[in-house]
Amino acid sequence: MREDAFSKFHPAVNLIFFIGAMCFGVLLQHPVYLLAGMFASGVYYFLLNGRKGIKAIAGMIPLFIFITLFNPIVNTRGITVLFSLFGRPYTLEALIYGVAVAAIFVVMLLWFGCYGKVLTGDKFTCLFSNIMPSIALLLVMVFRMIPNFVRKAKQIIAARSSVGKGTEASASIKDKLTSGMSVIGVLTSWALEGSIVTGDSMRARGYGTAKRTSFMVYRMTKADWVLIVIMLAMLGVVIGFAASGCMYAEFLPERNIAPIEGVNIIAFITYLGFLLIPTFLHIKEVIQWNISRYGI
Amino acid sequence: MEHFEIRNLSFSYPTAKGKKSLDDVSLKIEKGEYAVICGKSGSGKTTLLKHLKTVLTPHGKRSGEIYFNGFPLEKVSNREQSAKIGYVMQNPDDQIVTDKVWHELAFGLESLGCDQKSMRSRVAEMACYFGIQDWFHKDVATLSGGQKQLLNLASIMAMQPELLILDEPTSQLDPIAASDFLNTVRKINVELGTTVIITEHRLEDIFPYADRAVVMDNGRIVANDTPRNVGKLLYEQGNPMFTAMPAPVRVFYNANGKGDCPLTVREGRTWLNKEFAEEPKITEIPFETIEDDIENPAISLKELWFRYEKDSPDILRGVSLDVPAGSLSAIVGGNGAGKSTMLKAVCGICKPYRGKIKVFGKAVNKYKSAELFKNCISMLPQDPKSLFVKKTVAEDLAEMTKDRKKITEAAEICQITDLMDNHPYDLSGGEQQRAALAKVLLTEPKLLLLDEPTKGMDSFFKETFASVLQKLKDQGITVIIVSHDVEFCAKYADRISMFFDGQILTTDTPQKFFGSNNFYTTVANRMSRHIFRNAVTSENVVELYRKNKGEKA
Repeated sequence: MREDAFSKFHPAVNLIFFIGAMCFGVLLQHPVYLLAGMFASGVYYFLLNGRKGIKAIAGMIPLFIFITLFNPIVNTRGITVLFSLFGRPYTLEALIYGVAVAAIFVVMLLWFGCYGKVLTGDKFTCLFSNIMPSIALLLVMVFRMIPNFVRKAKQIIAARSSVGKGTEASASIKDKLTSGMSVIGVLTSWALEGSIVTGDSMRARGYGTAKRTSFMVYRMTKADWVLIVIMLAMLGVVIGFAASGCMYAEFLPERNIAPIEGVNIIAFITYLGFLLIPTFLHIKEVIQWNISRYGI
Repeated sequence: MEHFEIRNLSFSYPTAKGKKSLDDVSLKIEKGEYAVICGKSGSGKTTLLKHLKTVLTPHGKRSGEIYFNGFPLEKVSNREQSAKIGYVMQNPDDQIVTDKVWHELAFGLESLGCDQKSMRSRVAEMACYFGIQDWFHKDVATLSGGQKQLLNLASIMAMQPELLILDEPTSQLDPIAASDFLNTVRKINVELGTTVIITEHRLEDIFPYADRAVVMDNGRIVANDTPRNVGKLLYEQGNPMFTAMPAPVRVFYNANGKGDCPLTVREGRTWLNKEFAEEPKITEIPFETIEDDIENPAISLKELWFRYEKDSPDILRGVSLDVPAGSLSAIVGGNGAGKSTMLKAVCGICKPYRGKIKVFGKAVNKYKSAELFKNCISMLPQDPKSLFVKKTVAEDLAEMTKDRKKITEAAEICQITDLMDNHPYDLSGGEQQRAALAKVLLTEPKLLLLDEPTKGMDSFFKETFASVLQKLKDQGITVIIVSHDVEFCAKYADRISMFFDGQILTTDTPQKFFGSNNFYTTVANRMSRHIFRNAVTSENVVELYRKNKGEKA
């Protein structure tokens, strides 16, 4: 798969972005800011996943509605009572708060979806391998082990079913359990045996004979540094304004939402700009590529 | 100067009750030498190799000395050994530590604490030398077995060792990947001057190029000389290891050839040319033809089409095949061609989206699962390990049936009676294969499907295994083998089918099939095809040679 423009930056850049986007995504309940989060995360998720992305986003709508409608049922605070349900008041404020909670939830899902695509497991461990080489290696080995386990389990089950030891849908629960237990048992011994060989292979290649260093497949370039500085500056601005209270929003028991006006608009634009960095880079790359293609 | 010198090394494992795994072994390996160690499974090859690296040396009772570059090996620091002595093991998968190709390449250098700059250049160098740049960023899990083993070799070569030890590195690979791998090893030896010590069953690709061949038997060295001399010595001793020699060597000595023994196909052809300057009278061995119409086939496949996922390419593209009951049929073909998938389709593990499968005249989907696998079909999977789920072989067999008598019978047929109390994982590859076969036989199949049964077996085990198959055939069981092992199929199968491009292309007797192939054929056939028309095995060549010579005399 081809990497998108933002994924090509150093993992540290990716990590800073996602920490920023996710922290603010959880902390800010202001509806306008939530809207910005939903827009930015949705667009980037779509750019990363293409058509499949739309399906996934569409799939979140029922979830959104459910959380919204469900919140007032458990949360009865609020002053404007719409009607009563099960003898409890169903309030407008709680409903609006439900919208906010649902939005936070969806934004988080989308950001995590993007995170998984951009900051793959190896990039993540790579970030830490410089500081904690041994723990990073351990993580890498664990990551490798899990899919291996699944593959072997499938192989064993297929092998057993071809000698008539498979479990059919009609088999009793007890049969299924015993068969499953023996597969798990043998998987463990298989893994143990494999790990002896892996251990030998590690020691044969000098594991533990010196202080480990880490091979850095990703290198910090000037562009990485520039982007980090820009992102940190933007985050600084947003945090500064947040401290002044201009992003404050309260729903319960009474709606109390800070207005977006005057200099506060700068805060909003900076926030939206920050969230749109990956999208911007993506579009920039597409345009550049098209220009250079016409140039040829 | 000697790179390694082993003086009177004896060793026994703590559990072996005094039986020596290595018995007074003395061996010198020169710098830059390419040495091959051969011998039956369990003759002590691996134990010997493990002694050449202190961290891998097994625990047990030991006497004797090992010198590396003139220093006692145990005095050489672990760090120096890691960098200078590279060790590649059998299993391609378990040796790999990390999840990415680039990380695996760098692993050894990381352990040695190499700095970023030299690590970069060395990794780049190795990736280029081994042609890995195209898959440098890939996940290890997506590589083929051959690629994995090449990666293992490359990640060791990145540490720039002086000496490379390889313990049956190709036993899990298909023949083409194996021969690629061995060529790379040879290239390293010739181009970089790295000393190579290798153990192998597949001697055809090594023998002609090795400087030294060492033959081990029961922990002792029984021969240690140039490959040519070793061939001669083994023949004169009547040593059973002679059957593992490359086909040209076997033909030459069994035909009582005179002069220098040929090691390669080319040398073999030259030798035969000299022997038969004029065309011999008998150029064919008698063979049976097979009839195309088969009455009551054991299985009959008609136009099978199958793919794994909706969008993936078709693996089976119209497979049609009839196998007569009571025959031993082999299906050969390239890697990933879909041979194993075909077997899975017969077993109902894969469901073709078009086509018909009939087993003993009845459509396979009409069978109930219990019916199909009881007294009907059984399959031995590619990795026999995936069949074992218990702590001993006996318990594993008992899982299939309660009948003690049947278990004993199956164990006898497969010759595993004295292995019954062992843990299945402690058996050698060939033994595991037979234990798994015993387990499969307990379903009392009429039709036995074997997926790559000879993988990782040495030539003796292959013979034993063939005799087991013969016994089953005599009992009227139909056997279908899917295999890369052209030599094995040529020798033992009744019918051979070629699988290519998702279809069965031709089916014929081994003589006709290989006799009409130019490349995809046995070594003996390639060596003799310009003189004899249908000699497929080395026995065939010897037979024809003798007949012709006998008449002349």
